[in-house]
Parts: sequence; structure tokens; C-alpha cells
Amino acid sequence: MNEQLQQFLTGRIWLREHTPFPREVIDAHINSGYIHLKPGIITKTESVLFWQSMKSVCNRCHNTNQSFFHTFNCARCNKICTYCRHCIRMGRVSSCSELLLWAKQHARGANAHVFRWSGELTPLQQKASEELLASVEQNQSHLLNAVCGAGKTELLFPAIFASLQAGKRVCVAAPRTDVILELYPRFRKVFPNTKIHALYGGAPDQQGFAELVLATTHQLYRFEHAFDVVFVDEADAFPYYADETLQAAVTKAAKQHAAIHYVTATPTKSLKTTNQSILTRRYHGHDLPVPKFDSLWGYSRQLKTGKIPHKLQKWINEKIETKTPFLIFLPTIEMLENFPGEIPRVHAEHPDRKELVMQLREKQIPGLLTTTILERGVTIENVHVAVVGAEQPIFTSSALIQISGRVGRSAQYPDGDIIFFHHGISREMDKAQDAIEGWNRS
Amino acid sequence: MTCLICGTPYQSTPTWSKLFLNQLDSSTCTRCFEKFEVSESAIDFTDFLGTPYEGAVDSVFCLYTYNEPMKEFLHQYKFLQDIALAKVFALSLQQVFHRKEGIVVPIPMHAEKLVLRTFAQVDELLNAAQILFQQVLTKTASDSQGKKTKKERLKTSNLFEAIQTIEETNYILFDDIYTTGATIHHAAKVLKDSGAKRVDAITLIKG
Repeated sequence: MNEQLQQFLTGRIWLREHTPFPREVIDAHINSGYIHLKPGIITKTESVLFWQSMKSVCNRCHNTNQSFFHTFNCARCNKICTYCRHCIRMGRVSSCSELLLWAKQHARGANAHVFRWSGELTPLQQKASEELLASVEQNQSHLLNAVCGAGKTELLFPAIFASLQAGKRVCVAAPRTDVILELYPRFRKVFPNTKIHALYGGAPDQQGFAELVLATTHQLYRFEHAFDVVFVDEADAFPYYADETLQAAVTKAAKQHAAIHYVTATPTKSLKTTNQSILTRRYHGHDLPVPKFDSLWGYSRQLKTGKIPHKLQKWINEKIETKTPFLIFLPTIEMLENFPGEIPRVHAEHPDRKELVMQLREKQIPGLLTTTILERGVTIENVHVAVVGAEQPIFTSSALIQISGRVGRSAQYPDGDIIFFHHGISREMDKAQDAIEGWNRS
Repeated sequence: MTCLICGTPYQSTPTWSKLFLNQLDSSTCTRCFEKFEVSESAIDFTDFLGTPYEGAVDSVFCLYTYNEPMKEFLHQYKFLQDIALAKVFALSLQQVFHRKEGIVVPIPMHAEKLVLRTFAQVDELLNAAQILFQQVLTKTASDSQGKKTKKERLKTSNLFEAIQTIEETNYILFDDIYTTGATIHHAAKVLKDSGAKRVDAITLIKG
């Protein structure tokens, strides 16, 4: 048995063409039963009365939405072949491609874990952390409901360390790459002797068997029954809550009876866990800034004609004069691109997203226009925030809570503007405001 | 409808020509399609003067520049093998080919490579645009042009052979991308040497 292959494939479901091992090595392990093969796509014919339809399922991402499947004449298998466009960026899975799974003698880690952390938890953090640890030890699912800026990551450390020491394989998943990139160096410092992989789109190849995997939820398409403990960070973030295949991917990546734990500021009703803890205070103990509503009637018409509405212009000028960094959230990419003036802007497809946020932090630029892409994960000292068109459906209460959570994160500047400019108040805006006021009261 | 590139739903505008002239429908949203930049640079053949390939090609027309969105498109289409994307340029290709007369000949792929890629990406662009073509050429060498320098590309003995009789008429070569021009010139020379009257070329991208 090839040990490197064992370490690579344990817990994974991997496209054969993309395996970094020679064909003969793979063939030998298939013949000796170490590797189990699965076809890429399963297509079944369903008939109801006179109506016949083809239903396909992707064995990697478990997508069943038929509009993502495309069928063509394949020159490799010389048959009519179906492939999945849903997970195509990870290499195409088609009817004639083979998925590899490691079937017996799973790889194990060295189990020489060290926990090196000298930070201190506040009494509230300590309590939540202990509750989480208890749930993890009893293998019961746990929801950690913590406000933005509560210091959630630190709370996870004791539970992760205990799991690792018990010889368990642990996964921390988050919907966004930015979050994984931020977590990786922190975890490496805290667990210096643990083999950690950070997996996201475009991540470099990483060798060996990782006892701790930090991964975007997308990357979990490539795992099957791999983890004993799974933590989903930012479980309320787009696209996780909106994409059922991502939720299925997390369940699929966990071992059959493994508990899945969630960490979020704004739990959706669909998150059902056995236990939960609530953390309503920021680590610095100050109140969360409460959003203010301000009317900006007909803003979209005015912006279309190339004018910035008076109230908004006044707000921007004030921030520039007092040299306060600011973020303006806009509902659509079109509005962002057509916003008059020279203020730099970022959206999901923007290549210099990281650089621009950096420049804002270092005060090289006065402010940034953004879509909801910056709603979470960014910390900018003393930033003030305005949402334009807060009544639009893209700004759900959880998005608005996250956006409000950008303000007042540092102990030095615990307060700041958070203004919802609107063309009529929506229920979601009210919900967000109520939730934040509720946390401040408790 | 759902945009093939960004996956967001969009409305395609109903037009008279779609209704009566059976014009192909778009398969991407306007925002994605507008990112492709129409190529306006003229192509000169001065590099081929004095070589055996001088005068093999009568004209080359390229539709789009090789900008960042186009690079992404080609990557997903060719290397991620997303054959559904063949439709993206169906309408623009159809319009270009309607203006020219001649037998359309796609640049062929080596048989071994076809099995690896699972489809012939050049042929599929034409199929999606409902353009009839003839496969009169075959590729003799399996090595890729992508990693060679221009000098090396020109030096290699001809990459193609004719597998059908060539008529004394107009031919239109079609390829996905025109980079140094070596591929198109090799193919055109085979056609001219076998009796073609005129050889024009159309490529989707000017590299």
C-alpha cells in the first residue's frame, strides 16, 4: 500500500484525472480493494404515465437541479454523456468519469498536539466556550449564537484541542475564502504541532494527512465521511444558507454520526441543534452601535441621472472632512458601477478587493463603495457605514446585522455611524434594528 | 433564462428577427456579453513574407480580443471542458459566416487529444452556430502549439494533411484563436497546394 496515496485519499472523494499519482499506482490499489470507485453522474429515467424524463445526480456535489446538467456526445466514452456544471470549477465530473474513495485502512495523524494560546476569555466567552466543549465531548450538535465582534474564534480553541487529542479529525468550514485565509495563520500559531490544511479555490497543494482541515464549504464537495467533528463558521453567510448543496456537502463531509456545530451571529430557523449558547456582548463590553434610519426618497432615480442625493452627499463630505474611513453598501453591481464621483468601489468580481480594503485601513483612500461582498469578515478601525437602499430585498435582516457589525469593533473606537438610507422602511430593517437593541439590553 | 456564464437569470428581449427569421437566441446576460471586446486590430502577414507560407492566406478576420473575460471563457470551455459554453458566441459567429461564401473548414484536433478533451472545441463552436462545415483536414502531429515559440512553430513541417479532394473554390478556415498565425498558415497552404482558389480565415479570438 502506498502511504502517500492513503494520506491523500482518506476521507476524500476525488476525480481520477486530477489525482497526483501515476495511473498504475491507482490501478493497483483499485485491484487490491483499497480504492472504491464511483461513477461521476448517475442518470435515471423516470416515467409518469406517458411522460419520460431523465433525472441526474452528481456524485461529488450531490446537485440534483437538472438545469446544471448538460448532455453531449462524448469522444472519450463514445456515448451520450452528462456532466455537472454546478461543480465544474473543481474539474468536470461526467457520466464516464470515475470518482475515487479510500475504502479501508484509513490514515491517522501523529497525534502530537500542542495548544499554545495565552489570551484570556471574558467570563461570558468562558461560559460559552465551556458549553461548547461539553457538547463536543458528548457529540451533540451545538449552536453558538454570538454577535459580530464577540471573539468567536477563540471560543472554539478548547473544543478543537480536546477533539484533536481524542484522535478525532476536525474540520472548520466557512462559506468564504477570506475567512479561511484569516483563520489559517491564527490556527497555525495556536496548534503548532498539528498538521493543518487550508483548502479554498486556488489554494496551493498541501502534502500529508491533515488532522485539522480549514475549508470553504465549497471544498467539502470533495470529502465524504471524513470528519469526526465539524464546525461551520458564519453559517448565515451567502451562499451557504441559500445553497442546499452546500449544506448537504457539510453533512456528507462529516462521518455518519458526527455532530455538526454552527457559529453565527444571525441563526436562521433551519439551523437545528441540540444545544446552544448565546453571546450578546462584544469582547470589549461596549454596546453594539444601533442602526439609524434616514429617508432618501427616490435615490435610485437620482443616482441614475448622475446625481448623489443631497443627504448622502452631506454624509460623505462630513466623513471626508473628519478623515473618518467609511463604507457605503449598495444593493446592485449596476448601481455601484454607475455611482457618480471618484470613490473607489469593490464587488465580487473585483480583482483588487484585498488591496483596496488594505488602502482603506491605512487611510490612503477616504472610503469605499461596496456590494454585500464586504458584509462580513472585514475589520477596519473606526469605520463608519451607510447602507443605500436598505429596503431592497438583497438586504435581509441578517445581512443588515452583519453590515452593522462592521462598526465599533475595536476597543478604542467602540461606536460609529451606521445609517440605513431608505426609500421606505422594510420589515427586515426593523428586524435588524430590534435584534441589535435586544442584544444591547440583555 | 439563466446566463451560461454567471448563472443569474436574465430576460432575453423578443425581436421580430427571432420570431420570423429563426435567429439564434442569446445564452448569456448582456452584462456578461458586453465584457467581450470586439477586435479591431488588423492582422498583417509580414512575418510570413519570404517563407513558403507567403500568400497562403488571403485574409483573416478575428471577432474578439483576448481580454480577461475571454481568457476565463476559453479556460472554462477548453480546459474545464464546459461544452455548454459553445453556445455563447453562436449568434455572432453566425452573423460573420453569413457574410462570407465558401466551404467552412475547422482546424482539426489530433485524435488522441480529442479523446482527452472529450469534444472538438472548434467544431462545437460551429455546431452551436448552426454553420455547416467539412472536415477536409487531419492533424498529423499530436504536440501542442501552445508552448512553442513563433520560430519553432514555423519550422515544424506541415501540421496538416488533406483527407478529401480539394475543389477549385473558396475555403474559409475556422479556429478558436489566432496567436502567431502559424496554424492558420499551415492549414491554408495545404488547401492552396491542393487547388483551393482562395483561402480566408475566421477566428473567434485575436491572441
